[in-house]
Amino acid sequence: MTIKDTLLYLGKAILFGLIMAAMFLLVTRYFDSNNLGNTLLQTRANSTVELSFSKAVRRAAPAVVNIYSLSIDKGRPLNSGSLQGLGSGVIMSKEGYILTNYHVIKKADEIVVALQDGRKFTSEVVGFDPETDLSVLKIEGDNLPIVPVNLDSPPQVGDVVLAIGNPYNLGQTITQGIISATGRNGLSSGYLDFLQTDAAINAGNSGGALIDTNGSLIGINTAAFQVGEEGGGHGINFAIPIKLAHSIMGKLIKNGRVIRGALGISGEPINPVVAQILNLPDLRGVLVTGIDPNGPAARAQLMPRDVIIKYDGEDVPGVEMLMDRIAETTPGKKVMMTVLRQGKPQELPVVIDEKVVVEN
Amino acid sequence: MKTKLSVLSAAMLAATLTMMPAISQAAIPQTVDGQSIPSLAPMLERTTPAVVSVAVTGTHVSKQRVPDVFRYFFGPNAPQEQVQERPFRGLGSGVIIDADKGYIVTNNHVIDGADDIQVGLHDGREVKAKLIGTDSESDIALLQIEAKNLVAIKSSNSDDLRVGDFAVAIGNPFGLGQTVTSGIVSALGRSGLGIEMLENFIQTDAAINSGNSGGALVNLNGELIGINTAIVAPGGGNVGIGFAIPANMVKNLVAQIAEHGEVRRGVLGISGRDLDSQLAQGFGLDTQHGGFINEVTAGSAAEKAGLKAGDIIVSVDGRGIKSFQELRAKVATMGAGAKVELGIIRDGDKETVKVTLGEASQTSDSAAGAVHPMLQGASLENSSKGGVTIADVAQGSPAAMSGLQKGDIIVGINRTAIKDLKTLKAQLKDQEGAVALKILRDKSMLYLVLR
Repeated sequence: MTIKDTLLYLGKAILFGLIMAAMFLLVTRYFDSNNLGNTLLQTRANSTVELSFSKAVRRAAPAVVNIYSLSIDKGRPLNSGSLQGLGSGVIMSKEGYILTNYHVIKKADEIVVALQDGRKFTSEVVGFDPETDLSVLKIEGDNLPIVPVNLDSPPQVGDVVLAIGNPYNLGQTITQGIISATGRNGLSSGYLDFLQTDAAINAGNSGGALIDTNGSLIGINTAAFQVGEEGGGHGINFAIPIKLAHSIMGKLIKNGRVIRGALGISGEPINPVVAQILNLPDLRGVLVTGIDPNGPAARAQLMPRDVIIKYDGEDVPGVEMLMDRIAETTPGKKVMMTVLRQGKPQELPVVIDEKVVVEN
Repeated sequence: MKTKLSVLSAAMLAATLTMMPAISQAAIPQTVDGQSIPSLAPMLERTTPAVVSVAVTGTHVSKQRVPDVFRYFFGPNAPQEQVQERPFRGLGSGVIIDADKGYIVTNNHVIDGADDIQVGLHDGREVKAKLIGTDSESDIALLQIEAKNLVAIKSSNSDDLRVGDFAVAIGNPFGLGQTVTSGIVSALGRSGLGIEMLENFIQTDAAINSGNSGGALVNLNGELIGINTAIVAPGGGNVGIGFAIPANMVKNLVAQIAEHGEVRRGVLGISGRDLDSQLAQGFGLDTQHGGFINEVTAGSAAEKAGLKAGDIIVSVDGRGIKSFQELRAKVATMGAGAKVELGIIRDGDKETVKVTLGEASQTSDSAAGAVHPMLQGASLENSSKGGVTIADVAQGSPAAMSGLQKGDIIVGINRTAIKDLKTLKAQLKDQEGAVALKILRDKSMLYLVLR
């Protein structure tokens, strides 16, 4: 190919390009003069910017119920029960299963569930799990509204969310905020897993729904950061992510309780000082600091100052991971652990017990 | 091959050339990651000049009886009571609703008891305001200022609001200066809170604090949807639960105050209760929300319109109601003579009834104070025998101190006969100085002097 050929080729391309550009500009100007371009832009703007959350509210709000837990004084037979606790709950299925917080129904003699359409039901407790502060109730009713659930896309920091509940028994209230922080997802040990939001959550919101802007459930509102007795209002509130709540619900419906494994140790993360004293290669693993004399760890002859570095074939990076793995192990299962004892690795088989639930 | 290539590159060049002006036009990025960035700034530029700060000064007067021990020292000429005057200052917000007339809406509790009301405009001007009228039961007051170049806020139809709509509060919290907070509509038709006598609130999670009272709650178009009035505050500050009086209710009240200097409350003439699930079940209804009529007052607007005990009112002018209190607040703020279309359920069938609201024959004790300061604390109602009956007197109130007793019937003022509340109000309106009340008490006539 000569230089002339190349120039000709480029020249043709540029000429074609200019002609096409001119034609395109002419055509768009024609449309512009007819205001077609503008209307096109506007409709696009309208379809992308949602100016109200009312659609999301309509999808989710009917399934969020008010929960009144009553205590009945046995000494007075005609006493219809005094209000002992107030909270919210979410109807999860047509069968009438309701997710709420354990602390909402704790110590209740009778639980009344009030729907937004005015219906009231007395509910039974299917099961509860103090560790995650969740409980499942059941009501018998026709045409129960249920909430759409979003199990697939975990919420991200900055996502807009809506909290639905019954603060101070004012009646159903929707508040808006964003996800302020997220914990880890999908693990069953509980507490480290909260979603944090600045949507206003107050007494009575507990057990209610945290939804995304599509109206799908992403969490169960659980706690507000409080200073002393003055209540919430700090914009720091917590919700249990729906993935965890959903899995706990499944277990509660199946077994009436959440069965967790227990090893019977107390442990600490490895800090640099400990690593130096025990002559460890790195900061991975869990330092055993205490052993339940009647627990599986004692039977497996685990000792204080041992460092657990492998559990059931998996490396143990830290305390949270080990707690989760132990909790998820079916009681009775034999598990291989690798510990560092006086700097030397050692294999220890252990048979996991069921964790005893401590009600607080 | 070459031609294909050249056509391709030509198309690419064309595309680049045509795209270029489009990119260079967008000086401010309108989108990030394909989503537009919302900002309330353009709307607020238009809206915030219509929201003012309201500063009041006044004197709280509290009276205490002098203890008997001290009376001993002073003898028979001892003062009966000790009057304590404490000056106070208050701060709130207000909304300019009519730029030509200088009308400003605020809460009654912002200006209650004020001797002097100063309005601070957005541009820094300070103007003395005149109180046109006030309604303590709904907590709305209307002020007027004389100033040029005012900016008014447009009112929206608050009946069109939906839970989940964006709401923006503009006001003057803690006297910090104008502050804008955003949130959503958390609930509608909120009543039964015990904050005001007449409640039909919009609930919002936009931060509202002390000083926001009387300020504006607006939608994304910058139109007024409510007047921020109260919060639930267990710790004293905002917890995301605030209440605003709906714009439509404000419109009705302001129109009456502007015309009459007071609210001429509309009366339906029914008593009733909320429809609850048990009542609904008993009547075999699908509806669970509404107002159940227990009783219809003889001769009332409700009776004239054919309403009956057992009817269930489910809508007012086509808008569903949640509770009897919401119905009461809506009706009472519409004003006497207003025409209302009520949706009712009678014997399971839906019907609509047109009612022309009557005028209140009874004033509450706080409203009596507006008739005459020394009548404050008395409940007034039309007597069937002619005149105005004192239905009740609050202990220690100005009315009680004037010597009024429960059961008294006011039959005349000075030398004019009083037939009913209307003539009483008319007579007392232009009276200055002492007024002689002709009173019928236990079949005997006596005169009491109001000073």
